[in-house]
Amino acid sequence: MFTLVIGGAASGKSEYAEGHVLTLPGRRLYIATMEPWDGECRARISRHQAARAHRQFHTLECYRNLPGVTLEPGGNVLLECMGNLVANELYHPQGAGADRAIQGVEHLLTQCDHLTVVTNEVFSGGAAYEGDTLFYLKELARVNRHLARRADKVVELVCGLPNVLKGGGG
Amino acid sequence: MIFVTGPLFAGKREYIRTALGWTEEELAQRAVWDVQDLAAGQAEDLEVLAQTLAHHEVVIATEVGGGVVPVSAHQRQSREAAGRLACLLAQRAEVVVRVCCGLPQVLKGEQP
Repeated sequence: MFTLVIGGAASGKSEYAEGHVLTLPGRRLYIATMEPWDGECRARISRHQAARAHRQFHTLECYRNLPGVTLEPGGNVLLECMGNLVANELYHPQGAGADRAIQGVEHLLTQCDHLTVVTNEVFSGGAAYEGDTLFYLKELARVNRHLARRADKVVELVCGLPNVLKGGGG
Repeated sequence: MIFVTGPLFAGKREYIRTALGWTEEELAQRAVWDVQDLAAGQAEDLEVLAQTLAHHEVVIATEVGGGVVPVSAHQRQSREAAGRLACLLAQRAEVVVRVCCGLPQVLKGEQP
């Protein structure tokens, strides 16, 4: 089963996604995509690590080239988050473009029983963008649309509450 | 407490006035709005702020976390605080309604 979780800043995406994975049987692997390149990132990473410390996830850091990851077959994978992975593929010198992130998800789908992907709603704050920002928004939106088509279930988080957009059942 | 959220100018207050049959004066006395602006600078005390706000019959917040991540660290913190405050208010609310272009969507509880 493939579940996509989307929401804005501090909308409760991680909490929901982790809770969702805990309801599923099997091993739990957390794939972290945020590169700790400054204090704010490290603080964010620490906060997320603390939140899932008691939830028995193994953590794998993968900032780029998700198709290069080989997993033990089966179990659960929670990837957080697509917004960072796409940015890394677009802007890191060794990045390979947004399609590499899509290929990465397809690759994970062949290797796990349940995949949960967290992505960002960053498209509701205006439309007057240009250059790199506009390109990033278009590419992340394209990835999100692809993932939503592929997903069995799509859930938007609003103030910590799930709004099921596809797949029903809360 | 009823918590109402939704985008800017989506008709959140108008929805509450209609749903509860309140006048503007009643709304001003019994509800509080734009609480997202109170979250900025309160990151350490959001629980206290949420608890205080939850004494109102209706609490209304504009969704501000759906745009591009701001360049300014202060703005990033402000909108994250607004998001966390909204989560805390939604936890405390009996009813949560999201209003988009005037249309209510009940996310928790029963339509008021």
